[in-house]
Amino acid sequence: MKVVQLVRKAKKGNKRALLQLIMAQQDDYYRLALSYMGNPHDAMDAMEEMIVSLYANMGQLKKEEAFYSWSKTILVNRCKQMLKKQQKVVLIDEWETAPSEVHNPYQQWEQQMDIQGMLATVNEYQKEAIELKYFHDLDYETIAGITNVSIGTVKSRIFQGLKKIRDQYRGETHE
Amino acid sequence: MNEIEKRLMEEKKKMEQITAPDELEGRLWQALDAAPIKKKLKPKWPLAVAAFLLVCLIGYNYNGLAYYGKKIIGFDELMSGTLTELNDKGMGQTVGEKVLLEDGSELTVDGIMTDANQLILYYTLSNVKDMEGITFGKITGFLTDSDQGAGTWTFNEKQSEIKGQLFFDPVSPFAKKLTLEATKLAEDGQSITCIMSFPYDPNQAMQTELQQKLMKKVKVDKGTITFKTITATPTVTIIKGTVDVQNLDRVQLPFKQVQLQVNGKPIEQIGSGISTSIGGTKFELSFEALPQKVDSLELVVKEFVGYTNVDETIPLHPIRDQAFQLEGKDLWVKKVEKTEDGVQITIASDEDVLLDGVTIEGKGGAVPLKTTIRQDYNELDDGRMVKERTLLFSTDVLPDTLSVKGMHHMKRVDEVIEILGK
Repeated sequence: MKVVQLVRKAKKGNKRALLQLIMAQQDDYYRLALSYMGNPHDAMDAMEEMIVSLYANMGQLKKEEAFYSWSKTILVNRCKQMLKKQQKVVLIDEWETAPSEVHNPYQQWEQQMDIQGMLATVNEYQKEAIELKYFHDLDYETIAGITNVSIGTVKSRIFQGLKKIRDQYRGETHE
Repeated sequence: MNEIEKRLMEEKKKMEQITAPDELEGRLWQALDAAPIKKKLKPKWPLAVAAFLLVCLIGYNYNGLAYYGKKIIGFDELMSGTLTELNDKGMGQTVGEKVLLEDGSELTVDGIMTDANQLILYYTLSNVKDMEGITFGKITGFLTDSDQGAGTWTFNEKQSEIKGQLFFDPVSPFAKKLTLEATKLAEDGQSITCIMSFPYDPNQAMQTELQQKLMKKVKVDKGTITFKTITATPTVTIIKGTVDVQNLDRVQLPFKQVQLQVNGKPIEQIGSGISTSIGGTKFELSFEALPQKVDSLELVVKEFVGYTNVDETIPLHPIRDQAFQLEGKDLWVKKVEKTEDGVQITIASDEDVLLDGVTIEGKGGAVPLKTTIRQDYNELDDGRMVKERTLLFSTDVLPDTLSVKGMHHMKRVDEVIEILGK
């Protein structure tokens, strides 16, 4: 695979190589950013920040093969930071009008109704883990990295979350 | 796959229809392009090689590096080969003592190198405005009173700084502090005297490599030379003795052909000095430092000043280009002329030849040499050095012949004194 070679080039400061790496999975990145940020504009902003951050920190990547999980972790971190900032801005500017409508990335999911309803029954950590696993196809290790918890915790969150949904769902559909 | 997972998969399929907008690549590239260019991470192997070499060097030159801080810097131009080597080994002592002189220039004693034969001092005179040099007196200290010998110095390009090297007599190993006197001429013609003291560590003086009593007499034509001692230090090798030779002062460098041979090869003579007092005439010969490996060491007196009877009469008419032979030595008569002062005869000979008992004969009778005027050294086409001088005789009658009774010159001796045997 060319990934390792490109990563090595990128590590030496080759910007084109880095861009090529990102563009190879651009949709994955975009969807991941979109799922956190909720709108295409912020998603692209997050990706811009990610690529600059990746470029500055390429040297810290020890295993070239781990580029994608590492870069996605950075993307999610960027998204979370941006959300936090937005939250602060909201808190100050729209103190009176919108404190209760503080941005929740999972609320702005436009594409689906019932799945959102299903996920609404679990807590936000379980929801995040489930989404990362099932919607973004990330492995447990990457999810653990993104959410900053152990792999065991990720597994348990997914399992507990799915169980909760199943209980709820079963209750409604009498499956 | 249960119902929920199925739902999730469906959801994922829906999601997969979302693709990144076309402008994403452009935006990412813009962001990336604006990012400051990262320093290229250099491959690590040259570092490893450098580290390895460094370890080798440190290991090999550990002793040298221990002295690294003592290296006197900035005097490469002035130092001769041996001294540069010693300095590179850190055999000097850095001093760095400064004194501001009244005219604004600053005298720095950068460092010294000492051993049993001499003290070499390195100084810098900076902020010089008037191109005036500086002269140094003695170095004094406990049991120390060292006169200055030779010295060399250079101006920098802007002629604002002098760097110099001075040789002094050795200082006492008991001295802890040395005091240097210096005098500088100021612009107004006044002299500024400055006295500066700097610490001295006798333990850092270089060890004497060889010190031996010789007490060997060598008979030469007109007397004897007594070689008394040899002292070899890392900077210089000095041989001292006395000389009792009648016509010692008849040639310029009577000790020129005294060689110090190491392993059969002569090493360079740096200088020779002769001093006469009531006790007799003492001499001191200095040679380059001995090499590391000395298998044999010999002192060879190849030639020394001597005297040869000649009793020759040279016809002066006509003047010939060819040289006359005086006991194997060439003598050219270049010009005979009458002047206000008397008759002048210009002759040339080997540089070591000094004629004795010179008279001219002719119609005016025999006239002895009054004096020698104008002496020049010329190089012949074959590289031979000749001494040309004009002899003056008090007569106004042009002579027919020139008579020479004898001559002082370098005579073959070929005596060998073995210092270290094979």
